[in-house]
Amino acid sequence: MTLDASSSEARIELLEAQLKEAAVEIAELRARDALKTQFLANISHDLRTPLTAVITHAEILRDGILGDLAPRQLESIRGIISGGRQLLNQVGEILTYARGAANQLTLVLTTFSVRDILEDVSALNASLARKKQLHLGIQVSEDLPPIVADREKIAHIIGNLLGNAIEFTPAGGNVWIHASSASGEPVPSVLMEVGDTGVGIAPEHHDLIFREFAQVDSTPSRSHHGTGLGLTIARKLVELHGGRIWVESDIGRGSRFFFTIPLDQSEQSD
Amino acid sequence: MLLVEDNELVTSALQILLESAGTRVSVAHTIAEAIGAANRDAPELVLLDLTLPDGDGLQLIEPLRVAGAKTFVALTGHDDAATRARCLQAGCVDVVVKPPRARELVEKMREWTGL
Repeated sequence: MTLDASSSEARIELLEAQLKEAAVEIAELRARDALKTQFLANISHDLRTPLTAVITHAEILRDGILGDLAPRQLESIRGIISGGRQLLNQVGEILTYARGAANQLTLVLTTFSVRDILEDVSALNASLARKKQLHLGIQVSEDLPPIVADREKIAHIIGNLLGNAIEFTPAGGNVWIHASSASGEPVPSVLMEVGDTGVGIAPEHHDLIFREFAQVDSTPSRSHHGTGLGLTIARKLVELHGGRIWVESDIGRGSRFFFTIPLDQSEQSD
Repeated sequence: MLLVEDNELVTSALQILLESAGTRVSVAHTIAEAIGAANRDAPELVLLDLTLPDGDGLQLIEPLRVAGAKTFVALTGHDDAATRARCLQAGCVDVVVKPPRARELVEKMREWTGL
């Protein structure tokens, strides 16, 4: 009896010591993770400076400010500018991700029309859709009131979803954005859908795609490029508004991404 | 006009661009340099970066106004509504997000200086 009692006491002591050790280790890992996130935010901000110089110099040449260029030279300069701007966007995505991970993103609330923002985002993507001969449609319920939310962040969410829809839909397909009142949400919300007739996503990947740095095909030869952060950022920005995001899709059957945003963010308690 | 920006790579590019609009451009890399430059020769227009090695660029608005500078435009890497609002509140007439679109900046320059 006494032997048993003392041995189980000893075991409890050992377990307690191990727990303490694990807690210290977790705290250390969290601190290191926070440092890495901060580093990511700093470095992506710093990367913008030399990129600004590269892009501005290239645009000076393109615009003939230092004299006219031959057509082939102009073509080459345009390549530098598109590459530079693409890199700048990707750096911006990493910065947004890092700020989100460090909980440094805050909402700037204004009242705006959902139709206006859908039209703005689709106008930004129109030339890309045209180039791939995709039909891009918008549909907004007439009864949808203006919403109080962070306009830039809502545009960012729709832009990321629409960008993916365009990228993953073969030529001749359809891409659409719909907005209507959501039913069954805890607070009155708008339901937005960004859908496409593209390659689709297997059901077992539906959770994975919203996780950081995940692309369903992560081999070096993967045919689609990007930071892999688009959906993680979209989810973060939706959740920051108190909404939720999900996907309905299957291989070869297109994808429909849905998200909800409470109609009046200023009424959300935080 | 006075361009206040700490990074040499960026100032060299912007200087070429801004001068193409027909304006003389002086460059300052710090708050201290900017105040010195404005005291020697008060600029009509100041294009100022927000993060300078010796402080927040917006701190420059008051002393430069006293020195005779008229119009202020902020130059920033942060493309968000909060930064924009902070700059306008501090007295800037406009906010330029880096990198600016070259042609657009030249057109806007003419607008700001009334050329």
